Amino acid sequence: MTSLIAGTPVPPLDRRIDITDMVAYAGATWDWHRLHYDMDYIRSTGFVAPIVDGQMLGALMAQCIQDWVGPDARLTKLGFRFLTPVEAGSAVRCDGVTVSVESGVLQCDLTVHILDSEGEVVGTAASGHAEVKLS
Amino acid sequence: MSDTILTGELRARIGETRVYVAPEPIGKAAFRYFALAIGDHNPLYTDDHFAREHGYDGVIAPPTLVCETNQYANLPKESTGYAGHGWDLEVPRTRLLRGGNEYTFHQAVRPEDILTVTWRIDDMVERTSSKGTPMVIVTSIAEYTNQLGELLVTNVETLICQSRGIAS
Repeated sequence: MTSLIAGTPVPPLDRRIDITDMVAYAGATWDWHRLHYDMDYIRSTGFVAPIVDGQMLGALMAQCIQDWVGPDARLTKLGFRFLTPVEAGSAVRCDGVTVSVESGVLQCDLTVHILDSEGEVVGTAASGHAEVKLS
Repeated sequence: MSDTILTGELRARIGETRVYVAPEPIGKAAFRYFALAIGDHNPLYTDDHFAREHGYDGVIAPPTLVCETNQYANLPKESTGYAGHGWDLEVPRTRLLRGGNEYTFHQAVRPEDILTVTWRIDDMVERTSSKGTPMVIVTSIAEYTNQLGELLVTNVETLICQSRGIAS
């Protein structure tokens, strides 16, 4: 991690989010909102598939960063905006780029992309940024 | 011209707070279950020995967990199935969307932490969407502390009450 400079990419983290993952997440967070699993309710709101809890993407960003910087570095800030709802069964990719490294503090921008079945980026689910205190 | 949807009644709610106190420590199982659910195998969340080797007193919570779990809320289940914190904001002809979050992690969350969560409506402003319809942006701030009064995480959440109807 000694060669970190502005422009250094954040290594990508890919994940497919199936309905079972969404149910597990709903259970783990005590969030039983029907939007995440109940098709009758989902259709009544105008969506055609269960919608991934946006905070799953926040958790993915945290994982992407922590895996990269290692267990001695401390994630101190994480912010994100939701841009496109993600449907159950979608594949997503979190990646990013280093914005600055000053006095042992790293700032980076992050993006969660939506992938098609070929692994090509077809949309942006969320964009965000993180601050890390490097060890 | 569309009418203002940010009424005086709504504006009067700026500054409103809600406090939730967990009935018990958050516990190691909550960390492991959350890590499993998101597919994060970092041993910081499940292996005390590993966590100690990296400067902690033992396992820590995955960072976003405490901002997300409703386990401390002790609220009744709504018809949507949701049983967590909400403001019950009645903005006519709008639907509520989550815009985003800004988390500041002050201190790692440990299994023995008993959470107190204090939510406050920080601000509400009316904006015009790209479609020319009015929307209300609600900014809430949640502070998560433990039984020692230590500040663990701050969460600034943006909610968007987006117009369903036709601007007229």
